[in-house]
Amino acid sequence: MVTRRQFAAGAAAFVGLSALGAPRRLLAGRTDRLNILCWEGYNSDQVLNPFRELHPDATVRAESGTSDPEMINRLRAGELAVWDLINVNQPWARGEMARDKLIRPLNKDRFLPYFAKMTPEFAKPYPMSFSDSGDLLGMPQRYGPFSFVVNTDKISIETAETEGWDLFSDPGLNKRYGLLTYDNWNVIHLCLAAGVDPFKPVEGADAQKFADKAKQIVAGARLMTDDLVAMNTALINGEIDCYFTGGSYTASPARYDGASFVRAITPRGGGFGGKGGASWVELTSAVNNPDPSDLAEDFLEFVQKPEIAQLVAFSEGTYNPVAQMGNPEVLARFDADMLDAIQYDTLEEDMSRCHEFDAVPSYDALLATYVAARRG
Amino acid sequence: MERLERRLGFLSALPIMALLTLSFVMPLLVVAGFAIMPQKVFSLAHLPDFSSFRVIIEQGYYRSLLRSLGLAFLTTTILFVICWPLAYGMAKVFGRFTLVITLAVVMLLFVSENVRLFGWNLTLMKGGLLEGHMRAWLGTGFESPLYGWPVIVFGMVYVYLPFMLFPLAQGISLVPDDARLAAADLGAGRWRILFQIEMPLAAPGIMVGCLLTFVLSAGAIAEAKLLGGRSVVVLTDDVESAFTFGQNWPLGSALSLMLIVIVALLVLVPISRIDLDTLMGRKR
Repeated sequence: MVTRRQFAAGAAAFVGLSALGAPRRLLAGRTDRLNILCWEGYNSDQVLNPFRELHPDATVRAESGTSDPEMINRLRAGELAVWDLINVNQPWARGEMARDKLIRPLNKDRFLPYFAKMTPEFAKPYPMSFSDSGDLLGMPQRYGPFSFVVNTDKISIETAETEGWDLFSDPGLNKRYGLLTYDNWNVIHLCLAAGVDPFKPVEGADAQKFADKAKQIVAGARLMTDDLVAMNTALINGEIDCYFTGGSYTASPARYDGASFVRAITPRGGGFGGKGGASWVELTSAVNNPDPSDLAEDFLEFVQKPEIAQLVAFSEGTYNPVAQMGNPEVLARFDADMLDAIQYDTLEEDMSRCHEFDAVPSYDALLATYVAARRG
Repeated sequence: MERLERRLGFLSALPIMALLTLSFVMPLLVVAGFAIMPQKVFSLAHLPDFSSFRVIIEQGYYRSLLRSLGLAFLTTTILFVICWPLAYGMAKVFGRFTLVITLAVVMLLFVSENVRLFGWNLTLMKGGLLEGHMRAWLGTGFESPLYGWPVIVFGMVYVYLPFMLFPLAQGISLVPDDARLAAADLGAGRWRILFQIEMPLAAPGIMVGCLLTFVLSAGAIAEAKLLGGRSVVVLTDDVESAFTFGQNWPLGSALSLMLIVIVALLVLVPISRIDLDTLMGRKR
């Protein structure tokens, strides 16, 4: 039986060791542990288990976030020493994480050869993977066009692509569309809908155009939610005919479930500079952990394998193209239903209509305007 | 001797009091600290400039605050009206059946709030459980009640019902039957007994129920998101937005602090007037 005195002594020792950081060191041999903070998919057992088999002595753990900024907040809030890899969309690596030293550069000698096997957009190699000084900030894998989604039984693909963002100004669609509230994307899409370039400072008349468009889009929305399942459900049950902000990432779960009338659209025109769409690319970066795990780069290399790349593309949640599909061995692993779910037939054309996006210089002001419009 | 016991009691309680104070007050202090920091900084090592409060005023965040408080007030009022007869029955009429109601209501709490709300979403949506069946059986449907403020209030009433019901039942159980009978014998009508005998004597329970539901409703976000389709932007939505997509911790903290202070003021005044010992039946 433990006496009160023994318990008190044990507790005091534990507190003392915690303060010195001893338990962390005792538990964490850095070649024996890998922690990944990621979007859903990388955290699935079908992706992680094969890596665990390769490293039976390592504890491999992955946790899925609900948004890019939420994951980045965790690093800022003191979890820098917890995570080894972070997987977020491309503007955050260059715009926030590298600037604030939340991530560290990858080994170029080790990873540059993988770009050559990727789809043409990434084989150059992909410029957003690099900092201005040429450091490799992250490896691309999942990607896709991201503009808006329609029910093609209600709005034809031809009409949607031709009208582009003007579709949402059609009085007939008032209260017939949803607004998927991914705020950082909404800002970019509202700029495109207003014909403003979000990747340059937005001021004066352009800022006014943005504000007017934000008010109009918010006022005309039947529902606003950040839940893609709720949005697809509303689209399928006829509550809405289309939704502002969305792409193959959000449409693919419904399409793979048989609702092939749910389709991501990339506008043929509108926007600025002759392109009306935008695209996302996930970059997986090495967290600037003070005690880095050697397994971080091993895992990044591991997910380049054809069978694993396919598993990443079609893991739980959403289904997406992967940059590694440039390799015929990877492409052969996708069947016709899978390719249809991710709209592979038009992927290259859709991506060619998309802006390669960077950090938005006026993001704070534009976000404030947009959020104010939502507040009414 | 009594003084020594009191002192020993105080000393024994000191470690846990310190721990509770630290764990309860520290997060609030951090929020308060960030609230006065310059915009978009991520540490407390900056000179305070109170700019977040200027942003709150300039950008009309008070609208979200008023909406949150208004929805909370409406929810609390509706819950009081709904729960009073049920709580009365539980305290005075139902006898053993009270246990069945208690278990039924408590079991609701075993399921996550988000899951329950998503269940309502599937029930109320166009083509959902209600409208879908109606259309299949009668050939005609109806517009979904989702994505408006009434359904947000409905969601909050549904979720926070136990927090009003149980304190109210506890409060009503404090009303002596003799007092009610005496009032009736002296000629008081049903309404007069309700307003002049039962409600004043059950006031501690009413107060606790109303405070709990008001505070919880004022800080609610899931109902507005899942059922309301964000058609109404509540203050907690703004807080989340500032902390995440805005990457503006000071603004998020200032908004949180504003809600905490206002709700605390609204709560502290009435709570200072009730005696929890009386409510718990320890003192008469």
